[in-house]
Amino acid sequence: MLKLFKKERMWQRPELKRRYDLVIVGAGVHGLATAYYLGSQHGYRNIALVDKGYLGNGSSGRNTAIIRSNYRTPEGILCYDASVKLYENLSRELEWNLLFSQCGHLTLGHTDASVTGLRIRAENNQALGIDSRIIYPDEIRRLVPAMDLSSRPRFPVLAALYHPPGGIIRHDAVVWGLARACDRMGIGIHPHTTVTGMRVENGSVQSVVTNRGEIVTSAVLNATAGWASTIGKMAGVSMPIVSHPLQACVTEPLKPFLNKVIVSATLHVYVNQTDKGELVIGAEIDPYQSYSMRATLPTLEQMATYTLELFPQLHGLRVLRQWTGVCDMTPDYAPIIGTAQEVKNFFMDVGWGTYGFKAAPIAGKCTAALIATGKAPKLIEPFSPARFAAGQLVGEKAAAAVST
Amino acid sequence: MSCPKDKITLEFNGKPVTARPGDTVASALYRSGQRIFTRSFKYHRRRGLLCLAGKCPNCLMNVDGAPNVRTCITLVRAGMRVTHQNASPSLENDWLSVVQHFDRLMPVGWYYKTMTDPRVWHTAEPFVRKIAGLGTPPSPDAVSGNYEHAYRHSDVAIIGGGPAGLKAAISEAENGRQVTLVDDQPELGGHLRYTKIAEAALPELVAKVQTLPNMQVLNGSYCFGLYEGNLLGIVQPRRDPDDAERLIHLRAGRVVVATGAYESPLLFPNNDLVGVMLSTGVLRLIHLHGIIPGKVAVVIGQSPLVEPVVADLREAGLQIAATVAPKSVVRAIGKKYVTRIETRDARHACDLVVMCGHRIPDAGLLHQAGARLEWNAGKGAFIPTDLPAHVSAVGQVTGESLSAAATLPPVLDPASKRAFVCLCSDVSSQDLANAIDEGFDHIETLKRYTTTTMGPCQGRMCQLPAIGVCARQTNHSMAETGVTTGRPPNPGVTLGALAGARHHPTRRTPMHYEHEAAGAAWLDMGEWKRSRYYQSPMGASEKQCVEQEYRAVRERVGLIDVSTLGKLDLKGRDVGRLLDHVYAGRFSDLRPGRTRYGVICDEAGIMLDDGTVSRLADDHFFVTTTTGNLDFVLQWMNWWLVGTNWDVYITNLTSGLAAVNLAGPNAREVLKPLTDCDLSTAAFPYMACRVAQVAGAEAILMRIGFVGETGWEIHFPAESGPDVWKAVMEAGRKFDIKPFGIEAQRLLRLEKRHIIVGVDSDALTNPFEAGMGWVPKLDKEDFIGRSALARLATQPPKQKLACFIMNEADLPEDGAAIMIGGQLAGRVTSARFSPGQGKAIGLAWVPAETAREGAEVQVRVRGRVARARITEKAFYDPDGARLRM
Repeated sequence: MLKLFKKERMWQRPELKRRYDLVIVGAGVHGLATAYYLGSQHGYRNIALVDKGYLGNGSSGRNTAIIRSNYRTPEGILCYDASVKLYENLSRELEWNLLFSQCGHLTLGHTDASVTGLRIRAENNQALGIDSRIIYPDEIRRLVPAMDLSSRPRFPVLAALYHPPGGIIRHDAVVWGLARACDRMGIGIHPHTTVTGMRVENGSVQSVVTNRGEIVTSAVLNATAGWASTIGKMAGVSMPIVSHPLQACVTEPLKPFLNKVIVSATLHVYVNQTDKGELVIGAEIDPYQSYSMRATLPTLEQMATYTLELFPQLHGLRVLRQWTGVCDMTPDYAPIIGTAQEVKNFFMDVGWGTYGFKAAPIAGKCTAALIATGKAPKLIEPFSPARFAAGQLVGEKAAAAVST
Repeated sequence: MSCPKDKITLEFNGKPVTARPGDTVASALYRSGQRIFTRSFKYHRRRGLLCLAGKCPNCLMNVDGAPNVRTCITLVRAGMRVTHQNASPSLENDWLSVVQHFDRLMPVGWYYKTMTDPRVWHTAEPFVRKIAGLGTPPSPDAVSGNYEHAYRHSDVAIIGGGPAGLKAAISEAENGRQVTLVDDQPELGGHLRYTKIAEAALPELVAKVQTLPNMQVLNGSYCFGLYEGNLLGIVQPRRDPDDAERLIHLRAGRVVVATGAYESPLLFPNNDLVGVMLSTGVLRLIHLHGIIPGKVAVVIGQSPLVEPVVADLREAGLQIAATVAPKSVVRAIGKKYVTRIETRDARHACDLVVMCGHRIPDAGLLHQAGARLEWNAGKGAFIPTDLPAHVSAVGQVTGESLSAAATLPPVLDPASKRAFVCLCSDVSSQDLANAIDEGFDHIETLKRYTTTTMGPCQGRMCQLPAIGVCARQTNHSMAETGVTTGRPPNPGVTLGALAGARHHPTRRTPMHYEHEAAGAAWLDMGEWKRSRYYQSPMGASEKQCVEQEYRAVRERVGLIDVSTLGKLDLKGRDVGRLLDHVYAGRFSDLRPGRTRYGVICDEAGIMLDDGTVSRLADDHFFVTTTTGNLDFVLQWMNWWLVGTNWDVYITNLTSGLAAVNLAGPNAREVLKPLTDCDLSTAAFPYMACRVAQVAGAEAILMRIGFVGETGWEIHFPAESGPDVWKAVMEAGRKFDIKPFGIEAQRLLRLEKRHIIVGVDSDALTNPFEAGMGWVPKLDKEDFIGRSALARLATQPPKQKLACFIMNEADLPEDGAAIMIGGQLAGRVTSARFSPGQGKAIGLAWVPAETAREGAEVQVRVRGRVARARITEKAFYDPDGARLRM
């Protein structure tokens, strides 16, 4: 309780030095988590995190903060389960309440085909020890009494995949908590520092050029999500990533009526109610490639339409803001973690698409181990950049929460 | 303006309140004596009317079941039911207001700094949730509202019907342009309606606007978004309960923003007391509603803004106790309502405090459209600059007539726990100062940490004061501190308006009502309704009905409606080339009169769709796609045509044609009397196609066999659908023909090991592992997926799609897990009870080494583990002899 009255700075404003052991491009949750685990588990200190905007300006502050591990493939399930477990203990570890609400997560099935898809996930989840099962309207009604389970909607709810440990977290708090922990270890966080180029010689990055000067470094980690391929290009590293906008919106607060995360792939929408009472609504990725973060009206209308299919009584509720993030999509909807084949000291933790936030702790932990030991931990082996050339894609695309 | 005889009665918290025509809910309640309108979000402090312009959170109430309604801009209607929100038991006595006495335990970010033990947080969270939130959500059985969308165009859109907007509108219209004027007030005129400015001749301007023929006025409507390409989102609220709330999509060649400036509160301790109001709010009450909100007023403000306000108040009959400068105010005092203002050198008793607050250009639309907001110290405001193309601004939104003397950035020393910056979330200047000291010193992180500007007022009341506190605390200038990102919608929009009328189309095949008459049980397939099976009048179970349909096809003859298939007509010299490029197989060498199975793969060799390709003539092909993938295949073909200059014309005939599949040993006998086409195998072999008459309709016939029997897929004009269906059924009567549905079809094809792309394959399946390695023709010219398929052809697949049959009487569900040695090893894609085998059969993904005849696997059947055996051959007619009969 005494912490409450102690006025402490969360982080300092460190000098940007001329030389580092590692420059992490992108100070979002992935970059921060990697720095955090490099510091706390491998003793690294001489790291600079650079970011072109304010702390948490990218996808870390734009996602809908849903945490879950009910994925489809064994690779995905094990990875996200490890992430959920790290998140479960992160508030205590960082001494910073991330407001992780393990309220439960429901993926709705409105057609025979989608129920089959959910069953595949339930079966795979159960085989790997994840709390996840198919439930039917009677039980759904008990969990989410406010939802329309009648036959009135065009696509009535037939069943749902129920995942009790899933939930939502305060995304900005994760950024701040990790940033504070990094800062306390002496790892420098440098917002408003834009990377404009990289000097590569003999197949390795020598320095990173920024708007605040050139930084000599022994290694670089690309953790820039939607901008991953543009940063890769600066080092001459190509990756099969395309960037798509993803939009979300938030409404005015209401008294609590929904304490489950609701996802519907058929309706391309996901909805949850925050502790403050606002409804957070997310869409599927926009169908075109773009780096634009300007919101669009058709996507907002789509989010509203589908939300009202699930909760028609909310027609009078006002949307206060809509915003856009940029997602780094790979051909198999699975990430790319590893060392670039072209440039030996260029590490990547990218391609997380719409799942990046959920995976941040485990991605950071594994990337840290990869950087520190030179060897990829087993959990991230399937996500190696070499898999595309070898044709060994991971099957997560088939289970993309909001993708058909 | 008001006529006392013409009275309206509404209900507030169950009691009748009398209102006058032209009243808003808030003005009617105020006139009836109501002073407390809301309780604040966090501390449950009393809050009264502040802005009277729908811009602050102080008057939100529940109106006719809708939560968070801005009562100060909602016109009264007889019979309205209004209730308060977020206070218990009443607005006057709210037990949660005790919270404010513990505010020291709740400094900014207190919830991040405490409850860091997950167990503590999980215990505490339900209580936190319970006291948060504002309005009560309507009950799930509440009636849904009436909404609609409209689409309009105009040369010029003018947003704002104040003096600047009116003048701009008149000038544009007189220059011959089609003009749409949007104004959010019930009447045009902007601030001229409640302030006295000599230069303006409002009645003339309004009269002029109303006479211009090329002018459309949307009054009482607000614009919430200026999107890419000058797309404006405009909401026209309902005028009476039977009306629809309408969202107008207006595309304008040019947009002129004339949204004016609004007023935001000053910072001093207890600046939120009931009775502390913005000057524009007070003037609105006086001039628009004839209400004098007090007897003795203290006016806080700077010259030259304050003098006209004082004069106006005096004229209205208010006594002015004092006029004080903002920086001399120490605090406001009052328990329930404001009773005094304490300045550095005096205390002034009063029952009304009038703040001549900051004037803020209402540049939200410009900001979201990409304009920059630049601090102008001379005007004391952020002024929009770098306006996007085809967007301009006029009037006070440009900073015109603003001066720093009247709009000082906030100065307050020391910070106070009771000087509220953010009224929506009860964030004080002290909270902001503390957050900045903790390191949240960028305006964007400050916003997110304290939630300032994130509440229902969308930053209108709090953004400038917050920037002021941030600038002062960080020793930066206002310009360096800057504003947060502007986002639509602004103002907020209801989900109902955004969604519009409920419109979720259902597609029915031309024979829909034939199926209905035959007792179809429906299945949704995308937008289509298809017959799952046909219910028996005797009340047989689904399983029995499906088995009867199955037996009809295997033993006699059956008819299924396949009109939902995508149907594309491709003409031109280069169609063969296009198909060779887009499909993995080869089609350029297909002879006219022949049909071939085709699979589309993507660049990674993944199967995207399958269907048939029939060559009707040298330069004429007919292609079918799966029901769900038509749009994709059409786009995909057009995409790959771009830039080729190939002679290809694609016509989508999906809705224009109906289609059936007639199958079974007697299919030929049924069809023979209906067509002039020679159906003998010699004249019409398996995988041939013909154009011929069927039951009087011109049809394309293809001899294919998805279900494994002799059969024809027949495509014919949609308008002949019911006639052809009836004719075939009639001709089949003596063979005891039965219509069959999707379930029987799935079972029939499963026995034949025919896969359904998207059911048995997923987004990562390639043809080799699906057992269709013969599909890709790697020796043809380059095509989509070739390099990946060439590589895959040489790699042994890790998993394979295999047939299985259960050892016992278990029926696994689609999607059930395949286990080997207790480990997850694959999954069932489709499983059905096969009457032919007497057991459940299916298709499953299994490890490649297991995909061999006789291998044993385990299948999870509703949590239990059952045994199954892999079979390599199809269960039914593996050599396809029946197809060729």
